[in-house]
Amino acid sequence: MTVLTAILVGLIFACSAYMMLGRELKGVCMGVFLLGHGANLAILASSRSPVGLIPPVLDGSALSRYVDPLPQALILTAIVIGFAVQAFLLTLLVLTWRRQETLELSELAEEQSH
Amino acid sequence: MNPHLIILFVILPMAAGIVSVLLHSFKQAQRVVGLLFLLANAACAAWALATVVTAPDAVSRILTSQMGNWPAPFGITIVVDPLSAIMLTVSSVTCVAVFIYCSTQLPTRFAGGYFYALFHLLMMGVQWAFITGDLFNLFVAFEIMLMASYVLFVVGTTREQVRQAYKYILLNLLGSTLFVTALGWLYGQLGTLNMADMSRMAMMGTLPKSSIPVIALLLVVFGGKTAIFPLWFWLPDAYHTLPAGIVGLFAALLTKVGAYVLIRVFVMIFGPSQEVSQVLVPVLMISAGVTMFLGVLGAVSMHTVRRILSIHIISQVGYMVMGIGMGMTIGAATGSKELAVAGAIFFVIHNMAVKCCLFLCGGLMQTHAGSDDLDRIGGLLKKAPWLATLFMIAAMSLAGLPPLSGFFGKFVLIREAITQERWVVMTFAILTSLFTLLSMLKIWSYGFWSPAPEVSLEKADMRRAISEGLMHERPRIAGGMVAVVLLVGVSLSMGLGAQKYLDISTLAAQSLVNPEPYIEAVLGKERIREIEASRLQASRLTMDTEGVR
Repeated sequence: MTVLTAILVGLIFACSAYMMLGRELKGVCMGVFLLGHGANLAILASSRSPVGLIPPVLDGSALSRYVDPLPQALILTAIVIGFAVQAFLLTLLVLTWRRQETLELSELAEEQSH
Repeated sequence: MNPHLIILFVILPMAAGIVSVLLHSFKQAQRVVGLLFLLANAACAAWALATVVTAPDAVSRILTSQMGNWPAPFGITIVVDPLSAIMLTVSSVTCVAVFIYCSTQLPTRFAGGYFYALFHLLMMGVQWAFITGDLFNLFVAFEIMLMASYVLFVVGTTREQVRQAYKYILLNLLGSTLFVTALGWLYGQLGTLNMADMSRMAMMGTLPKSSIPVIALLLVVFGGKTAIFPLWFWLPDAYHTLPAGIVGLFAALLTKVGAYVLIRVFVMIFGPSQEVSQVLVPVLMISAGVTMFLGVLGAVSMHTVRRILSIHIISQVGYMVMGIGMGMTIGAATGSKELAVAGAIFFVIHNMAVKCCLFLCGGLMQTHAGSDDLDRIGGLLKKAPWLATLFMIAAMSLAGLPPLSGFFGKFVLIREAITQERWVVMTFAILTSLFTLLSMLKIWSYGFWSPAPEVSLEKADMRRAISEGLMHERPRIAGGMVAVVLLVGVSLSMGLGAQKYLDISTLAAQSLVNPEPYIEAVLGKERIREIEASRLQASRLTMDTEGVR
């Protein structure tokens, strides 16, 4: 299970790195969003393999068989923060598009030099 | 002070932010309310500092509060120790000055609408970072602070700003993602993110070997935020596009929070662990030397006030990192470590006030002359003699001329470098000082001393600056001067009352180099006994092996 998660995290990180290296702002932003998801998955893996364990609900009778709930709490916070950042970046993209009518980095840079 | 009141440092700026949002169409009301909140906040900080400093013993110097009364390593802990208290005090006073400057000097395009709300929310993030007792909350605080800074970056933008804003935002997002990933891994390895608990593990020597790469990754994250070599490239491009008030705020708070976190995480939490120090100290020392020297060379080569000062931020961070590195050195005497860390702390608070003050001076220079390009201005000494005097004091303080505040910070750091026989870094530190003086004199001689350029570009420059939103249409210079006077006052008090400030810094450094009182205040007495038992066992083990030999 952990190995599977590790491979998945690596795959997501690779995809997002590829997207972030692009020359188009929309793609770059999507790459950053994807990276956040990869990070969340990596945190989830730190609660160890959940095979054979039960969800942490307040019962108290089976404490030793609970999945460690803290990484999930961390992820929840990270997701909420991620939402805010994504909303902000998308707004900024729209604003840039309205003003410059391009999201190509090379064209944005060119406009600069004029 | 009731220790639970320290949550006020989060609540006050948050309330101020919310009130400012509600009042967003009444600019004058926002200014008055904001200033009142900031003054209350500064008073609270001074009160906390007084409580902490006058406390009778090391453990009672640390005010802790457990949110929701969940016990320490599991719940959310907030802590004010001498380091937090002094950072809170100086940063809150600096914020008052910047707020006065912004509300009188910033053009409506920036200071309209939600600007003041963002100002308070940025402060909330910063103060939360100062008082949090666990690394995950530090992440949340960083995010709040950064989110506010993103918006301040693009509010009322020029085109250049938008382009630089993408760079700033994307790099910081990358940093934050690395941060949260590192936290996940650290939790997986240690089972805790509570600072006191991690520090306890470092003291007992039970940090697993595999956690060291993750800790090094944390250095990358915080190094990026603090702008140390080689992660500094985003700063010079980004900062110089902003108007003076906002960049003053960023210079005073953002990189200094990074420096605070470096001190907290690497000196206090992981410093006691030999394995970590072994890996990190050489990295920190090399980075410190290169950061301070290349930073100042960059500053000397620039030709506009804001650019010189922006690159200068980096150079000054080098001194702080130097102190941190010397504070973690294995085998150095405890007294020497403490003094080095005290020097770093003194340097951080000195820099908060002085750097911010210089940026505000730069802004006022632009208000007087229409530009801050050193080729286009001159003769300000006659035109604005008071501004020239105040600038000179702040600039000489930055360069480190006695009896001003920069001198004492550098003096302590260089003295400890001699004690620890770190000749290379010491040489760089002294050279950097000389170049700092040179770069400040450059602004002085071009901007103030030399006669104004013959073909006066003033009117055209002013029109452009106003249209680009860098200048207020009808600036009220008096308000800006109040802010600068306040900051110069802080800097002078640090220079003339250096002993007092150094005493407090040393107090703070003591509880960082030996975090036992901190651990006891947060986790309770039993944990301390555990540490002592493990130390006893370790010494018995070495005695046994020696006996065998």
